[in-house]
Amino acid sequence: MKLKDRVAVITGATSGIGEASALLFAQEGARVTVSGRDEARGRKVVAAIAAAGGGAMFVRADVRLASDCERVVAETLRAFGGRLDILFNNAGVFHPHNAVDCTEEEWDATVDSSLKGAWLMSKYALPTMIAQGRGVIIHQSSGWGIQGGDEAVAYCAAKGGLVVMTKAMAIDHGKQGIRVNCLCPGDVETPMLAADAEARRLSYADYLKGASHRPLGRVGTPSELARAALFLASDDSSFMTGAALVVDGGGIAG
Amino acid sequence: MKGLTNKRVVITGGASGIGAATVERFLGEGARVAVIDRDEAGGRALRQKHPNLAGLLLADVADAVAVDGAFRELDALLGGVDVVINNAGISIRHDFMDITPEQWRKVLGVDLDGVFYVAQQAARRMLAGKGGVILNMGSTSGMNGYPRYADYNAAKAGVIELTRTMALELAPTIRVIAVCPGYVWTSMQEAEYTPEMKAAVDAKIPLRRHATTGEIAALFAFLASDEAPYITGHPVIIDGGEIAGGLASR
Repeated sequence: MKLKDRVAVITGATSGIGEASALLFAQEGARVTVSGRDEARGRKVVAAIAAAGGGAMFVRADVRLASDCERVVAETLRAFGGRLDILFNNAGVFHPHNAVDCTEEEWDATVDSSLKGAWLMSKYALPTMIAQGRGVIIHQSSGWGIQGGDEAVAYCAAKGGLVVMTKAMAIDHGKQGIRVNCLCPGDVETPMLAADAEARRLSYADYLKGASHRPLGRVGTPSELARAALFLASDDSSFMTGAALVVDGGGIAG
Repeated sequence: MKGLTNKRVVITGGASGIGAATVERFLGEGARVAVIDRDEAGGRALRQKHPNLAGLLLADVADAVAVDGAFRELDALLGGVDVVINNAGISIRHDFMDITPEQWRKVLGVDLDGVFYVAQQAARRMLAGKGGVILNMGSTSGMNGYPRYADYNAAKAGVIELTRTMALELAPTIRVIAVCPGYVWTSMQEAEYTPEMKAAVDAKIPLRRHATTGEIAALFAFLASDEAPYITGHPVIIDGGEIAGGLASR
């Protein structure tokens, strides 16, 4: 077990990559706080972890709100023995739009959930990690945080911000024994991808078929991203910090 | 790591440093490991330490004919190859203005030509078989400037671009990834560094230390395994945060 006795918080853990990561981290021995806005789905994830013999709890939270982020950390410390070893800032939303169409609400929802939320969660998690002298933070960025993408201006801005915030946090907190990395997925078969297909007026099947021209010829699976997150969370990556791990089937190599 | 048991793994420069640690890690994962190295004494010592090594081929990766010969021997030994780790490399500390054409050729010959020769031989076999994974040794030196290593840095930048292009051409059969370490503590550093020099370098790195060779080996193991099936075409930096801020943070 790669995460035996570790305590992990995963935001946006009620579906997609967050859900897959919560299940995998628990399977690897971590006790997991499953956080998200959808209580019904969150409770299902916790039940699935419990059914597999793992330890988890759900904390309802909207990472755009400082008070919610503070509460997620406080409840985690209370429930799991005062430790916090791994923070996976996975929550995020996507709206297709260019700079002209993008509304202020969409901009705020996108940037606040991905970028501000990751900072807020880190702000409240870091004091415990610093006191422990160790901790791991993983930000969910995107291939579109490194290269640009079409009709995704707020998303690209937020995800690009995460890549550089990762480096800045790695510099500040490396000497305190804390590693900070980000994941940069390409398209992954999640509810977010299905919603994007719908917003772009494409059938999901056609949308997925569009991935056939990509280097590995397909989109990724939540499990593949969860396994990359596990690597970054585990001691197998003990010298990695400030890095962006691109998991996109070669999507942005060309 | 899942999926490394019985994998046929070829590691260049496996007799010492990161290469030797990688040999140990992959043997520990249950892989069948063969080494290509030009260091006969080092190879013998490695063999003594790991009697279960599947093969030791004496060859200089800068020599295309020698690499061809080594892979023919590997065909007989392993019957194919699933993972190649292009680890062999050299560097010479010298000012740009002092580099001789012979030194330039020597460094580029091992660090870039060697990666190309080995990767092409391996890819031929992987394309004919069930595919595979090619891991090339890049470096943070291939992404940032470092005085006194112009030839080495140019070679490593070349390895990163070679990696991206190979990944695009060889997908979906073969995954190709570059591993880019920063400072790694090897016997070479141990011989060259005074304690003061080491402390000065450590102070520049956010994690305040060099990598161990085993930490680089762990990244190779992850990338080669079935845990990383959607990763290809990118450099992966493992540097303790060193180039996150570049010179500005030092």
